[in-house]
Amino acid sequence: MIPLARNLPSHAPQDVRLAIVGLGGAGSTALDRVLLDGLAGADFVALNTDTQALTGSIASEKIQLGRVATRGLGAGGDPDIGYAATEEAVAEIRAALEGAHVVFLCVGLGGGTGSGGARLVASLAREMGAQVVAVATLPFTFEGHRRMLQAEEALAALQREADVTICFENDRMGDAVSPLAGIQEAFAVADQTISQSVRALAALTRRRGLMHLGFDELATALRSPGTAAPRCLFGHGEADGDNRANDALTRALKNPLMDRGRLLDDVPNVLVNVAGGPDMTLNEVQILMEALNRHIGDDSRILFGVAVDPQMGEKMSVTILGALPGDAAVAATAAVRHGARAVEPRPSPRRVEPQPAADEEPRYAFAAAPREAAAPLDVEPVLLHVAAHSPPPAPALKRTEAKQEQMELDPVKRGRFERSEPTIVDGQDLDVPTFLRRNVKVK
Amino acid sequence: MSKDQLIVGLEIGTSKICAVVGEARSDGTIRILGVGHAPSRGVRKGEIVDFETAGKCIREALVDAEEKSDVLIASVYLGVTGAHIESFNNRGAINLPEERGEICAEDFEEVQASASEVSIPSQNSFLHSILQHYYVDGQAGVLNPVGLLGNKLEADFHIIHGATKRIQNSVRCVKEVGPEVREVVFNPVASAQVVLDENQKSLGALVVDMGGGTTDFVVYVDGALKQSGSLPIGGDHMTNDISLGLRIPMGRAEALKVEEGSVLLGVSPPGERIVLKDETGFAGKEIEREMLNAIVHCRARETLELLKRQIDESYLPYLGAGLMLTGGCSQLDGIDQLAEEIFGMPVHRTRARAVAGLTSAFEDPIYSTAIGLIKYAAAIQPERPASLLKRVLGRLSFLWMWMF
Repeated sequence: MIPLARNLPSHAPQDVRLAIVGLGGAGSTALDRVLLDGLAGADFVALNTDTQALTGSIASEKIQLGRVATRGLGAGGDPDIGYAATEEAVAEIRAALEGAHVVFLCVGLGGGTGSGGARLVASLAREMGAQVVAVATLPFTFEGHRRMLQAEEALAALQREADVTICFENDRMGDAVSPLAGIQEAFAVADQTISQSVRALAALTRRRGLMHLGFDELATALRSPGTAAPRCLFGHGEADGDNRANDALTRALKNPLMDRGRLLDDVPNVLVNVAGGPDMTLNEVQILMEALNRHIGDDSRILFGVAVDPQMGEKMSVTILGALPGDAAVAATAAVRHGARAVEPRPSPRRVEPQPAADEEPRYAFAAAPREAAAPLDVEPVLLHVAAHSPPPAPALKRTEAKQEQMELDPVKRGRFERSEPTIVDGQDLDVPTFLRRNVKVK
Repeated sequence: MSKDQLIVGLEIGTSKICAVVGEARSDGTIRILGVGHAPSRGVRKGEIVDFETAGKCIREALVDAEEKSDVLIASVYLGVTGAHIESFNNRGAINLPEERGEICAEDFEEVQASASEVSIPSQNSFLHSILQHYYVDGQAGVLNPVGLLGNKLEADFHIIHGATKRIQNSVRCVKEVGPEVREVVFNPVASAQVVLDENQKSLGALVVDMGGGTTDFVVYVDGALKQSGSLPIGGDHMTNDISLGLRIPMGRAEALKVEEGSVLLGVSPPGERIVLKDETGFAGKEIEREMLNAIVHCRARETLELLKRQIDESYLPYLGAGLMLTGGCSQLDGIDQLAEEIFGMPVHRTRARAVAGLTSAFEDPIYSTAIGLIKYAAAIQPERPASLLKRVLGRLSFLWMWMF
């Protein structure tokens, strides 16, 4: 009798071609991080208006945007210039993305090049027949209200163009870093998180699993009904050793976007992908899923995948993805603002040749899913911006104020808890006096 | 008198360490013989951060308790807390053998074991598994299943677990000082024993122990412990806030909080000032009362709001007896009103009850936990076969003395 090998991969993993694109300053930095961390068999393309920054990038392919529009300088924080500059380089971008099945677009929103060019690059990639995964970062709140508005506007536009949008809020990155860490370290952590997510998603789209998760599941997980700006939860953990299942999960939940798994409770669709070497046991997967299930709400759907990858060796990894019904107020305003700008509906080309990751399924235009402009305002409490007791200002404004204190400009404010382990709940260090965090005036 | 009836409860708090020596009487009452305490150093948010210093403070407290009660402390019941402690409810079930049918006491242990067969993080270990309800053949409301007939015995348990290493730290610290640790008890579980009576437990109540480093809570619904937990925020944070906000040293901020602090806003006349006296009694800095209250108010409100979010909403309508505030911070002026506003239920400031002896000891809510440890220990003692035996021997020796 010939035993049927179950784990024989039906497709060689390499036949999915990936292109990783870094757009703008923040995008290029994130791209460099992905490159340094190592991701085999992908094309790396850096796009930037600023020639100086572009020269510094280590990407294999670099395209200068706006030779005429900006003459090698940056876009100066203006998305319109960024858009014009990207438009000039359309032909070059097309050439660079030729033949890619999945395009990862790393972009920092809020500035000129990233905010302006992102939707254009995403729509170009789609036209070429690729699946587009946009990995976007929103600026820190302290960078200013205006910048945040630009970023949210750009995000809404990007979500229309890209198949999957993962959005990282820089403000939340602060949670991952100890309040005493230098600013450089804080930014490095942000880049690392992005790099980690790109690599994990790349592995997800490429690996042929025993229980396979494809692009369609990814889109389902990240779709969140009723909001324009779903907050993305992402966690990835790898571990080896005797207790690798638990360790990997703990690490995944430690991710700043996860809030130690507490937020998972409210996520409608959770994608969980477990990968490990050939020696991964069913028991380990069971332990991991049991532990994870305690964090996931009863009503949530779990999209579960297992993959065996000989390259993992003795390691085991878990990737958790989901979208939280976002801040409805902000989403609604962003949608309104966007409507005023009247972006032409994007052409939706059907891809001709399906790739192994996402076959017959229709394209998920989840960003264009019907939105309720008047979503209930009290979706927020889950996020624990502890409601200020002072007369409440306008919702958007309150958000800004509440987050302003997250950046530890003056570390003295922790007083006697200076050297103790910080207690962080939803981005707020509870050891910092409440009146400081809430901006209560005390002379 | 048998020594085994003596129970010592030791609480290593963030602001103070206290050891209470009590006597469990055969009629079920408890008599406090002495209370020893020492200011705590080397403890933050309920957990030991400086082993040596904390050890010294524990010794101080134990010596004080020995002197006051005239008892040699050989073993203690240790209260622990900290944000690492978590809890959940789980149901255990066993099928009884066909031929027997009658439920006996051993089955109870089996059910308890089956309820504990859940995976907790590998670095954690179980602290308690507390019985909530029995079900016999799916029928609820069974108070005592022993002797009943049935095929299937189920029981709900409240399981509390915490980081093994952190709990071991406290245990080791006490052992280095001398006494044995007989059992480790989660602080609010102990406090609830003396703060609530049986009636309040069955009505449903929320016990909030606002201590120096942590705010601990337990929820009783229908006579059973349903939820417990610990927030790593406490009076220490308030003092720290005052110290930073008014730019005064910690020691003075603490005194100011205790003597003048209030969580009520808008009750003091506008512009009323407090004169801070320094150690020599000279009038120094002046601060506005409203400002002090604003700082305290912000922290207290935040803590209570965070607490409310932690508590399972479905329990809130069933807390008939309301909220019981205890612990050092419960003495803050107006905190009951604030809690009433936030939780929307009657709030009582309470302290240990149902004990006899040194009244001054249990009149203070800061001793709730330590006295609760004694009550807890007294409640579980009959379950310990060794101590039961010794108690019988103790009785015999008493008889012996009486005969001669």
